Amino acid sequence: MSGAVLKPRAALEARVDLSSVTPGTFAGLSLREIEQMMLPCGGRAVPLAELFFVERGPEGSLVIEIGDPRLDHVGAKMDGGELLVDGPVGAWAGHGMSGGTLRIAGGTGDFLGAELSGGRIKVAGRAGARLGAASSGSRRGMSGGVIRITGSAGPRAAERQRGGLIVIEGDAGEGLATEMIAGTVCVLGAIGPLMGRGMKRGTVLTRTVPELPAGFVDTGTQELIALQLMARRVPDLSGFLDKATRARRLVGDVLLGGQGEVLVPE
Amino acid sequence: MILNGVEIRDTFAEAFPMVGTRLIITADTPEWAMIAGRTTTGFATSVIGCGCEAAVEREIPASETPDGRPGVAILIFAMDFGSLKKVVPLRLGQCILTCPTTACYAGIDTGKRVPLAKTIRYFADGFQISKKIDQKRFWRLPVMEGEFVCDEDTGSVEGVGGGNFLILARTRAQALHAAEAAVKAMTTVEGIILPFPGGVVRSGSKVGSKYKGLFASTNDAYCPTLRGVRPSALPPEVGSVLEIVIDGVSFEAVSQATRVGIEAVCAIGADGGIVAIDAGNYGGNLGPFHFKLREIMGAGANPGAA
Repeated sequence: MSGAVLKPRAALEARVDLSSVTPGTFAGLSLREIEQMMLPCGGRAVPLAELFFVERGPEGSLVIEIGDPRLDHVGAKMDGGELLVDGPVGAWAGHGMSGGTLRIAGGTGDFLGAELSGGRIKVAGRAGARLGAASSGSRRGMSGGVIRITGSAGPRAAERQRGGLIVIEGDAGEGLATEMIAGTVCVLGAIGPLMGRGMKRGTVLTRTVPELPAGFVDTGTQELIALQLMARRVPDLSGFLDKATRARRLVGDVLLGGQGEVLVPE
Repeated sequence: MILNGVEIRDTFAEAFPMVGTRLIITADTPEWAMIAGRTTTGFATSVIGCGCEAAVEREIPASETPDGRPGVAILIFAMDFGSLKKVVPLRLGQCILTCPTTACYAGIDTGKRVPLAKTIRYFADGFQISKKIDQKRFWRLPVMEGEFVCDEDTGSVEGVGGGNFLILARTRAQALHAAEAAVKAMTTVEGIILPFPGGVVRSGSKVGSKYKGLFASTNDAYCPTLRGVRPSALPPEVGSVLEIVIDGVSFEAVSQATRVGIEAVCAIGADGGIVAIDAGNYGGNLGPFHFKLREIMGAGANPGAA
């Protein structure tokens, strides 16, 4: 698999769907074939070279320089290799991704990592709504892999998430973990209102007890061996969990028979 | 071959393929980890009667365990993978789940998967919680004490069971002293266990019996009280024989343990009442692994003990 570097020729005038641009789809293609690849742009399709200068890059990696909030589906369906974006991207980044690494050095639009099943997404910025959630009309959100964002997340992050790990270093918007099925979310900042409604299972790790709907019950502070196990096994959680051995455990949404949990380590 | 006045007989230990796995048990204190380890590996001296052979492999410092608490590693061996899959969850459920403060983790990553919490999670009656991060799944089971944490499954290895050597000594006390020294030295070898009580067997067996239905019986050739009554392997000065049985994750591990054990016995030497080192075999036709004593000792004998 040979790598490539894409440099935007100018600021984009319409939204561009980059779902066909991954290290996997570039594998074995010549520079010319890459340049001739057709990309949906606004209401039409244009050759990639009309939007980007293309250069050869390091093996197995794909770099998109500068970035643009109109670049949608960046790294969507990616299954390996490395995709780096040197700036912001639009919606659906990493949608349905199953492997590899996606690094974005700026903010992202909605549905970042929606239905992710494997691999790793790292965002140095904020994410829009429905981070790691189910896509429109789908019943299940992210099922595996790791998403880490250094900024805040918009509303309904982890909606219907059913596996994997999301780490939000900033704040989480309202409706976090709505109808969450399984998996883990760790929020280092504040959590917005209405989190956890309809939560079935899964874990939300946070520093303070958030505002919770009526369906959550407080089981009190518990000694949990799993905290230190996760701190040691999961590098993304080791800083947050540190030496914690006790956590307050709130379970819900019991009104809907759910057994999700909010853990607040002490 | 004579080492420190001890004859190393020109024979070999005959061992068999076994399938084994390792569990890491942690607890709040090293004592409770050891209690769980010993209980789980209790009544597991010989596959013939116990279904598996198991023992504590070593203690693990807190800094090296998955949850940062003190722990022990145990090895469990069975004759085939199907048996291993049965005995491991059974022992886990009865001896580790029940033991205060413990948690149980996979000690081997590779090989066919042996179920741990995958089987016993149902004890939690629907309140079990699974966490899968980076392809590793563990379970949390609510129990009266708090929570029992256990990995989904563990790996397995094709190991070696039944490595052995015999210590022929003048008296029972001298045989025991030498056996204790051997066990102490051998427990430093990683990847092996000595499944018998304290690592030592006093009733080695031969294949078959005069009684129908018994397929093993006392090894009369090595019983000092039967010298002269039956064809004996014991010279007149031998008054007691003890056996060390070794199971290991590989031929090399068992071989190294054999060498370390025999070296420890030979260090006591003829002055300590040790007459000879022998080994148990069935003529070499039953087990594919042969541990030739003189080869093993020749390969790495401590010159100081010679």
